Amino acid sequence: MQILLHLCQWIYSTHLSVAIRGSVWIFPIIETIHVLGITVLVGTISIFDLRLLGWLMKREPVSRIAAQLLPWTWGGFVVMFITGVLLTISEAEPNYYNIAFRIKLLLLLLVGLNPLIFHLTIYRRVNTWDVSDVTPIRARAAATASLLLWAGIIIAGRMIAYIH
Amino acid sequence: MLFAFCHWLATSRIGIIMRDSTWDFAIVEVVHLLALAIFGGAALLVNLRFLGLVFKAQTRSQVARELLPLTGGGVIVMFISGFLMMANGPVRYYYNPAFRLKMALFLVALLVHFFLQIKVANEKAIEEKSPVWLKFGAIVSVLLWLSIGLAGRAIGYV
Repeated sequence: MQILLHLCQWIYSTHLSVAIRGSVWIFPIIETIHVLGITVLVGTISIFDLRLLGWLMKREPVSRIAAQLLPWTWGGFVVMFITGVLLTISEAEPNYYNIAFRIKLLLLLLVGLNPLIFHLTIYRRVNTWDVSDVTPIRARAAATASLLLWAGIIIAGRMIAYIH
Repeated sequence: MLFAFCHWLATSRIGIIMRDSTWDFAIVEVVHLLALAIFGGAALLVNLRFLGLVFKAQTRSQVARELLPLTGGGVIVMFISGFLMMANGPVRYYYNPAFRLKMALFLVALLVHFFLQIKVANEKAIEEKSPVWLKFGAIVSVLLWLSIGLAGRAIGYV
């Protein structure tokens, strides 16, 4: 992964990276916005997952909950992603070596695959189980995976600062 | 009295455990953040429903009721984990202006938000559009929780 290391070193030396690192206030401000973005993103996703598990809003069709939440989930995602990229740029080289950062990226990849599989498989037939309070086992499995993966991402994300 | 409490907490068993262990603090902090995601998302959606911006197919009373376990449970977990983090250095936090601001805002937000959510959750009548006071309250609640988040992050920097 020599080429990836060189890339991270180059990013670490750019003006943007140095500027974010060099300021006392810019990093914590971006970090706070990052946490707020995660709150909206993961908060809305958890409510959808809890509906799939049949824990709340059982009388409301799954597809309608999804449609209502999606704009807010995407909004949270965009904020989380942009601020996350900026934070990564500012610490590119140390992040390359940081095991918590590596785990976080891996979990992000998995949490992206999860809804992809969900939408291509069980959610295609959502009209057959949309109003049932007990959803198919595969939908509940996807919800459980989503909750666990997002929890793992938050834990790994916080650990980046604890591991040097 | 608050100072005496902080002083007692600092010398208590919990205070000493939280002060001396790096990983206890990290674990409690992560629990605080996990609860934030659940609480923050649910509290935002409740207030957005009061503003008529989400879940319009459900009554605002239904939404307030369905999400009460998440906002209520979330705030309890955040309070306990927050208290444990504070036990890491109670006297230091006592003098921290960001911490004081956060606690004052938290007290107000707690009253405003849960007064509204519980009141609406208990509404029986078929409602129409949200009255102006409820919309105003929802905006105040969102802004308060937002400032609490900002003040919380500032604790480590002032």
